[in-house]
Amino acid sequence: MSIATTNNGRAASAARPRIYRRRSPLRRKLFPYLLVLPAVAYLLGITLYPGIYAMVQSLYRVKFNSWTFIGLDNYEKLFADPEFWASLWNTLVIGASALALEFVIAMTLAAFAYRDPWVRGWRIIFLLPMLFMPSAVSFIWKLAFNDGGVVSDLLMGIGVIGSPLDFLGNVWLARLSLVITDVWQWTPFLFIIFVAALQSQDMEIEEAARLDGARWSQIFWNISLPLIAPIVAVALVLRGIDIVTMFTSVFIITGGTPGGATETVSYFIYRTGFKRFDFGYASAASVVVLVATVILAQTFVKRFFKSGRD
Amino acid sequence: MKSLRGRAPSKILRLTILGAWALFCLLPILWFLSIGLRPRTEIILPQPLYWPTWTVEAWNMIWSDWPMGYYLRNSIVAVLGSVVIDLALAIPAAYALARYRFRLREDIGFYILSTRMMAPAVVAIPIFFLLRNLGLLDTVWALMLVYAAMNLSLVTWIIRSYMLDIPSEIEDAARTDGATDLKILVMIIVPMCLPGIITAAVIAVIFGINEFLFTLLIASTKSAYTLSVALANFTGGSDGVIYNAISMVAFLAFMPVLVLLIAIQNHLSRGLTMGAVKG
Repeated sequence: MSIATTNNGRAASAARPRIYRRRSPLRRKLFPYLLVLPAVAYLLGITLYPGIYAMVQSLYRVKFNSWTFIGLDNYEKLFADPEFWASLWNTLVIGASALALEFVIAMTLAAFAYRDPWVRGWRIIFLLPMLFMPSAVSFIWKLAFNDGGVVSDLLMGIGVIGSPLDFLGNVWLARLSLVITDVWQWTPFLFIIFVAALQSQDMEIEEAARLDGARWSQIFWNISLPLIAPIVAVALVLRGIDIVTMFTSVFIITGGTPGGATETVSYFIYRTGFKRFDFGYASAASVVVLVATVILAQTFVKRFFKSGRD
Repeated sequence: MKSLRGRAPSKILRLTILGAWALFCLLPILWFLSIGLRPRTEIILPQPLYWPTWTVEAWNMIWSDWPMGYYLRNSIVAVLGSVVIDLALAIPAAYALARYRFRLREDIGFYILSTRMMAPAVVAIPIFFLLRNLGLLDTVWALMLVYAAMNLSLVTWIIRSYMLDIPSEIEDAARTDGATDLKILVMIIVPMCLPGIITAAVIAVIFGINEFLFTLLIASTKSAYTLSVALANFTGGSDGVIYNAISMVAFLAFMPVLVLLIAIQNHLSRGLTMGAVKG
């Protein structure tokens, strides 16, 4: 916009009575809706449309381009499918372990770092793993655990184990390798948020408690932690969402082995749809996960986010 | 700070714990860098080699053996395009959520947010068919549209958070001077929440570069492969996974991301929590 038009606008508004420039009440009322409309329409296109599409497709047996209506057969088969239940269980086990570890480590580090004079330096160093592409990080750990045998070699070097571990062959070691990959890359996500929360709290409260003779650990547990609890909850919810959708590391590191013990729900849907080309069945699984997501979002997440200021 | 001594945890304990984690962060990165700077014959051995023969063979290889220029172009075009779409859609939406009272505001805001919770795999199949029907499979446009959708919630909420910080007196003053709402948004609000817009854009760029599942499904040739997915194809039949090339590509993508992040580091926690944390 050129300066000339701005000046014209100003001149015009000065000449006319101010009230003249006000919009009609209806247009004023519609204005905010017009502002959100493009974004909402775009998101509906990429969520509502797929949701409906998946629901319809889940009622069909899809073989290449021929669709046969089979009613709820896919769902019946799905709920009786041990592989589907196993994928839910794996997601829960791997996700909960990773989230718990990340939380404990990030909180410990944040508690030690937030008043450290070098906090900015620590933050940059801790951040680095998060800056690599997840696919690259998966390859780093695939090489370290499996192909390169570095983890086994280091553990043997310090005498913890006698012979190399088979991280792909053992159920718990395979899951552990996914957990460690996630912890390495994403602990900084929580750490950064926790440090910021701890730094932004009211220092006077801590100071007052200290003057009353409280120990450092008491202050942290009884004052700082409860103060930042809402932010901790938001951070855990966001991280939790990303963990349960875990796909890249499974795809690259384990491929679901051994015996499907590391197959997450995302990988189950991917494998069913794009490896076995059973799209109707994969859609049924998608719909089930989608419904679960909506319920979880409504009950757990909604309370943490408010649109406006009230 | 001085008065804290004695009550604060000992300096040695603090430095040990923070230092240990710093090593755990850094050592795999340095080791992976050394993988990229060694010949392929020194990667997978019965006994891992920690001090290799240094060479830039892999760096030369990624440019000569693969269409790296295409991968790079696809990543840049798809990601930047998606960020432009996001900003165009998110700035008006964020303004409405931050400034207006209207029915359904909370529901619309939460709906936008909730799209962030959707597992990519769950919508992957319908989106795959949608893009196929539109003839967009294996194109950068498809990646652009999907990345934009994926980050729109985040971008909207971050910008909304920064808009809430602008005192409404400024707008009231402009309004009494006769400025229209749209003009206020463009001339006053957008410049004032520029840090928020930049933060949102940087985070969207990073998530775009990282995206894996959708790209894996959409791309099938060099016309849409991005760096993130091209990596996974660095397996040359009998050669197995070509780790030194993967390492070089990983660091190639890492450098710009590092620069961007350092630029917004003070806004990072606010951005990552979509505005829930200020600091």
